[in-house]
Amino acid sequence: MTMPAWSEAFISATRGSGRLSRERPFGHLDRAEAFGGVDGTGLTVAVIDSGVEANHPAIGDRLVRSVRVEVDGDSTEIVGDDGSDVVGHGTAAAGIIHSIAPGAELVSIRVLGPDNRGKGVAFLAALEWAIQQGVSVVNLSLSSKSEALYADFHALADQAYFANVLLVSAANNVPGPSYPSLFAAVVSVAAHDIRDPWVWFYNPAPPVEFGAYGVDVNVAWRGGRSVVTGNSFAAPHISGLATLIRAKHPGISPFETKAILAATANDPT
Amino acid sequence: MTDDAAGAAALALLRSVAQRVDVASQLESPAGETILRSVVDAAVVLMRAEAASIALYDPPRDRLVFRVAAGEQGQGVVGLEIRPGDGVAGYVFASGEPLAIGETTVDSRFERGAAEQTGYVPRSLVAVPLTDDAGTIGVLEVLDRRDGSPFDLADIEAATVFARQATVAIRATSLERETVGLLRAALLALAARDDEGPALDERALDALVGAIATDLDDRQAEDGGESRGAWRLADAVARTRTASPDQMALVLDILEALAHRAGRATSRYRAGRR
Repeated sequence: MTMPAWSEAFISATRGSGRLSRERPFGHLDRAEAFGGVDGTGLTVAVIDSGVEANHPAIGDRLVRSVRVEVDGDSTEIVGDDGSDVVGHGTAAAGIIHSIAPGAELVSIRVLGPDNRGKGVAFLAALEWAIQQGVSVVNLSLSSKSEALYADFHALADQAYFANVLLVSAANNVPGPSYPSLFAAVVSVAAHDIRDPWVWFYNPAPPVEFGAYGVDVNVAWRGGRSVVTGNSFAAPHISGLATLIRAKHPGISPFETKAILAATANDPT
Repeated sequence: MTDDAAGAAALALLRSVAQRVDVASQLESPAGETILRSVVDAAVVLMRAEAASIALYDPPRDRLVFRVAAGEQGQGVVGLEIRPGDGVAGYVFASGEPLAIGETTVDSRFERGAAEQTGYVPRSLVAVPLTDDAGTIGVLEVLDRRDGSPFDLADIEAATVFARQATVAIRATSLERETVGLLRAALLALAARDDEGPALDERALDALVGAIATDLDDRQAEDGGESRGAWRLADAVARTRTASPDQMALVLDILEALAHRAGRATSRYRAGRR
C-alpha cells in the first residue's frame, strides 16, 4: 500500500511539479476584499483537541468556555472543564487561530487526554455539541478510523454543512479510513514548509484541498512554547483564515468560504 | 469418567501432543519483537537519530508500554508504561496524527514526567502512530537528530514508513499466534481420531478444549489482549473430528507447512495417518 503523502503537493521541493496549477475560473480574488479589516470579532471557533490552557498569553483571554466529553460505555456527557491542556496540542491550535483571528472567541472541547484518549464516541459527541452551539468554525486535529462510526460522522458532517458550521480538519497521513477528514463537506488541510502563516495553497485534486504553514511552527505549548511540525498545525491556520472570511461576509456558507479560500490562495510557484 | 479424570486425560493428551510436535513453542516467537527491534535500529541509523522506541497499547491494562528501543540513550524507556493520551506519545496514539516537536522551552513540562524516569530528556522528537486499516496499535518515537538539526516533514514521512513496517510485523505476529491456536486444535482433533492415541470421550474432549481455551486466553492476556477470534478459530478446527477427508487433508497440509517453518519434518505424521 502506498502512503498518501498529502503534503507532497504543497512543499517547496515538489510544489513546482504542476499538480496545483490550473486555470483560475474566477481569477484572483483580492485578499482585502476577502477578509480585510476584520479580526473575527463576533464569531466563535471551537477547538476539539487536548484542551486549551486558558491563561496562556498566546490565547489572549479569548477562551470563553472549556468543556470535555466524559464517556461511560457508549453514553457520553459534555461537562465543564478547568481550562487546562493535558498535552499542549490544543493550546497550540488555539494559539494559531488566535494569532490570525484575534477577535474570535474560542471554545475548547477536550476529547484527548488520559481519561478519554480520543475515543470515536467522544469525538462524535464533541462534534455534535459544537454544531449545536452554533459556532462558526470547528478545528479538528484528529480523525477516527472506526468504520462503525462512518455513518455517524457522515451525518454530522452534513448536519454541520447545512447548519452553516465549517469543519476544518488536519489531513491524516496514515492509510485507511479517516473520518471526517476525508469527507467532501470538510476542509481538509496538509502542511507546507514556507514559514509564513499568510501563505496557503489550493489543491484542485481532492481529498486534501488546502496546504498551510505546518513545518517548524513556533506555537504555544503547555506551559510555554514549542517548535512543531505536522498537518495538525496547518489546519488551525486555515481555521483562522476561514474565520476572517466568515467575519467579513456574515452568513456565507461553507462552500462559499471554501471558494474564497481557493480564490485567495497563493500561486504554486 | 469424573471431571478430574477427564481433565487428567486431557492434560496427558496435551503433553503427548506437545512431545510429538513443539512447533507451537517455536512459533511463540520473539520474532515479532526481533522485527520491531530491527525497525527501531533502522530508524536510528537512517534518520540519524540518538534513539528510537516503540510503545504498544496493552488493552487489559489500558497502558502504552514501551517494548523495544534502539540507541544507547533510548534503552531506559523499555518497560515504561504510560497512560494512553498522556504526553506526546499518548497524544499521537489517541489522535492518530503524527507530529514532530523540537526546541520546547524549558518551562514547558513537556514529557518530563516520563522522560525523567528514563534518564533521558529529548530535545526534539518525531512521534507517529502504528496504524493500519484495523486501527492504531501503538506509537513509534524517534528522538534527537545526532547533528542537532530539527526533524521535518520528510522525517515524519520516513517514520511513518518505519511505523508501517512495525505494524505489519505486529499483525503478522498475532496472526502467527492465531495459527498456533489453530495448530493445537488441529492436533487435538487428529489425536482424538488416532486409534493409537489415548482414547477420549466427549467430556474429556470438552475438558481438553477448556484447557486449551484457558491456555490461549492466558497467552492473549500476556500478549496484550488479542481478540477471542483465535480461540473461536481453534474451536472451529477442533470440530474437524467430524470433518470430511478433504478437510482433514487440508488440516494436515497446514500442519506440514507450520512444521516445515519450524524446521521439522512432518512426513511421519502424514505417513502415520495414511
